[in-house]
Amino acid sequence: MKGGTKADQNAGRVLDLLTLNGGLAVAVLTRFIRDAVETSGTAGVVVGLSGGVDSSLSAALAARALGPERVHAFLLPYRTSSPESAADARVVAEHLGIPHRVIDISPMIDAYFAIETGADAGRRGNKMARERMTILFDQAKRLNALVLGTSNKTEILLGYSTVFGDNASSLNPLGDLYKHQVWQLARHLGLPSEVVSKAPSADLWPGQTDEDELGFSYALADEILCLLFDFGLSPADVVEQGYDERVVTRIVRLEQQFRYKRRLMLIARLSGSAINLDQEIPRD
Amino acid sequence: MLASTLTMAEPRASLTLGLAQIDCRLGDVEANLERHLAWIAKARERKVDLLIFPELSLTGYRLLHLTSRVALPPGAPALERLAQAARPMSVLVGFVEASERGVLHNSAVLLSGGAPVHIHRKLYLPTYGIFQEERFFRAGKRLDLASFPWGKAGVLICEDLWHPELARRLAVAGAKLLIVTSAGPGRIGPGVDPVSHESWEMLTRATALLDTCWVAYCNRVGWEEGSFYPGGSHVVRPGGEVLAQAPFLDENLLVATIDLRESDRLRWRLPLLEDERNDIEGPVQ
Repeated sequence: MKGGTKADQNAGRVLDLLTLNGGLAVAVLTRFIRDAVETSGTAGVVVGLSGGVDSSLSAALAARALGPERVHAFLLPYRTSSPESAADARVVAEHLGIPHRVIDISPMIDAYFAIETGADAGRRGNKMARERMTILFDQAKRLNALVLGTSNKTEILLGYSTVFGDNASSLNPLGDLYKHQVWQLARHLGLPSEVVSKAPSADLWPGQTDEDELGFSYALADEILCLLFDFGLSPADVVEQGYDERVVTRIVRLEQQFRYKRRLMLIARLSGSAINLDQEIPRD
Repeated sequence: MLASTLTMAEPRASLTLGLAQIDCRLGDVEANLERHLAWIAKARERKVDLLIFPELSLTGYRLLHLTSRVALPPGAPALERLAQAARPMSVLVGFVEASERGVLHNSAVLLSGGAPVHIHRKLYLPTYGIFQEERFFRAGKRLDLASFPWGKAGVLICEDLWHPELARRLAVAGAKLLIVTSAGPGRIGPGVDPVSHESWEMLTRATALLDTCWVAYCNRVGWEEGSFYPGGSHVVRPGGEVLAQAPFLDENLLVATIDLRESDRLRWRLPLLEDERNDIEGPVQ
């Protein structure tokens, strides 16, 4: 984007439109977590803490909703994971006063890739995300708890997640919050500054950042997604507003390409009582 | 002589409303019936005359394909039980009505003196955005006044209020109180109040001003499929001032004593209903 374009003038203004009342948002989201736990008859939640802002905010909301003792955090590093991530996750767990435990996933991952050689970084990263998921669901079973999701609206819309990995959960308080709003609520709740201010990273390999991998910033993605989905502009309208056409096109393409990740159980309908189509049975 | 004439001419015009801002178990009539009984007991302690429950209070709102499984005829034992338990109170309960004609309605029934005395079938079924009512319900076809010992009232359900000619017709026909039951989903923004509530308050207050009547708006709380209901039930005086409001997000029994003569007194000063014309010609009908 060149300086002085309409997009530059918009920058910040669009993000301002996403501003939420922090107190009200926290009041609503804590009730969401409490209601889901009570309705399911479980005792609490488990959450994988990465040291990033998303899982920190999810855990903080749950600790407020349920009391810290009913939120069970797990740090699930692989041997190449950044030690700073684990340190940040510990800071958050201690800040929130929630019980936390470290389970090193290296033996499980290495055992698989010892027989499955030549996998690239993407496959290895996905495998790690799914390994963490199986551990969280197993711990949830052990603790009679639900798995708390940590995916935000921006990454869900962009398909920036691992199917049945980090996107698997029983309830997700962050799924309707753009990344900008996640940061806003994290600051509102006074989460440790090292977590709120660092560059977002899935920690798939050393030094990886989401924004490098995606090819655009979260701030820009949030603005474009907001114009497309909250205000109903067409991609051409968004470009007209001065946003880089390549970025707009890429974001639109990602959203279309990864829709399958958002509707996971696709059943072939044969009868007049197909689950999810003829029997759209709601979840309380 | 004069005193006794006055006494005879004046029906009891003051009544105590209770707005039961409750959460509901989706698709579980038994559980919701028990909750209704508990709120009736609370309302009795507060000396409520008319207790109002939200839209589809006996079943929950977002039923989708559960709709037919929780449908009841107006004479169903569950409603009979509520009618008896409430006496001498009157209660307005939301339910899925299975009509004699074999169709389902999103209805509110007024139970009074131990029996159903008035049923309103929702007239506008929202089917846009997150709403899917026309897939599962048929719209009602009649607009009636409900008669209470205190005077006449109109009952509307949620979307009905967004079509202001209904409230106007009820007021012109003599309603001094409009009861609006709702399962209005919440959205939030930068403000302290849910964004969704701002629209509702604009509507209820405008209705109380333009139709010069009391408006009692009862919205539910709780979660269904990840969508929340913010509550914020309130009572608006004729003219538009909010008399009382329940807090957001949590269950609450809002109790307010109102005098229906306040509607008359406003109408003397502000004869909007009396001035209503239906003789204006032109291509715009």
